[in-house]
Amino acid sequence: MALEEAVHQEITDTIQSNDVVLFMKGNRRSPQCGFSATVVGILDSMLQDYHTVDVLSAPQIRDGIKEFSSWPTIPQLYVKGEFIGGCDIIQEMMGSGELYESLGLEPVEVVQPNIEVSESAAGALTQAAAEHGGGGRELHLSVDATFQAHLSIAPRTAADVEAIVTGGGAGLVLLLDPMSAGRADGITIDVSDTPNGQAFKVDNPNAPRVQQMSVRDLDAAIKSGESMELLDIRTPEERAIAAIPGAVLLNETEAARIEGLPRDTRLVLHCHHGGRSQQAAEQFVSLGFTQVFNVVGGIDAWSQEIDPEVPRY
Amino acid sequence: MALQIINAGPPPEEIAEQVRTAIAATLPNATIEVRPQGPGHFEITVIDVAFEGLNRVKQQQLVYGAITELMAGPTPPVHAVDKLECRVP
Repeated sequence: MALEEAVHQEITDTIQSNDVVLFMKGNRRSPQCGFSATVVGILDSMLQDYHTVDVLSAPQIRDGIKEFSSWPTIPQLYVKGEFIGGCDIIQEMMGSGELYESLGLEPVEVVQPNIEVSESAAGALTQAAAEHGGGGRELHLSVDATFQAHLSIAPRTAADVEAIVTGGGAGLVLLLDPMSAGRADGITIDVSDTPNGQAFKVDNPNAPRVQQMSVRDLDAAIKSGESMELLDIRTPEERAIAAIPGAVLLNETEAARIEGLPRDTRLVLHCHHGGRSQQAAEQFVSLGFTQVFNVVGGIDAWSQEIDPEVPRY
Repeated sequence: MALQIINAGPPPEEIAEQVRTAIAATLPNATIEVRPQGPGHFEITVIDVAFEGLNRVKQQQLVYGAITELMAGPTPPVHAVDKLECRVP
């Protein structure tokens, strides 16, 4: 059964025009199988941008990639045109540190992060480790590229870094992969009450936050032609009443375009008074964007301070 | 409701033999062991000097490449290889 030429060509083009390509089920935001989700989790922790191909929406690629790679399962990772492996191999390479080299990343400088663990958090973690650990399985903290923290109990790998734990939990053994360790210095872990019972609360001072921009700074940035994506997150009805010149309505198409941009793209969001755009801005931060600004006071402040021609409403 | 007949294909031992034959066609000097696990599931061990100097992925690609046809299509005889071990003797 020969691989159809067109499919062969399509795969070749894809792996040659993108440095890192993951053939997977689903997409980066909603993987449709556990193995694909695992690999996305690993890549997310190391890379801001990489290309994915959803084989579920392209049956010819789903069959084609298996023959192309001589590999029977999905997901499949290609780096610079070369087949790296499937889920278990990628996990293994992550553990051994080989994956950094394969992805062309600088060898991660191993830093021991300082992590403050409260006494109650330490108690809960110790209990969890006692219940689910053992057999070389220990407490892990990972911090992905979007600075989301995850606690888990997993086997210790050779590349793991031990945190310097301070506070009530001093003495607790907490492991991080090297990439996470670099994002974790200064984290505090506590326990807080939620409507669903007690939960760990992880506070990371390194996480990017939404920055605030005044309408004056926005005006100056527009006038000097600084590169940015100025997004209007109001409704089309509000926009019909008044609009800041150059701002683009953030509809679904526009949101999809923005999500495909490099994560260091400067995003500037505004709404009517600055409340809704703050929330939207936080969403973009959680997607991994590092330069996200909220326009303080929104278009109302713009009308009052910059351009009275823009009607207030 | 009609009973669904699952895995009404050849018995696992017969498929295991097909897998062995296919691998042997590509790696004639290999020692090959194919162990049926569940319906459509197999564990395979291949020992061959041909693996010398190849990394794990390249070794496994040789074996998977040999059995592509047995794993292709909507209802392939080999649904999954649960474990593939490639070794140099």
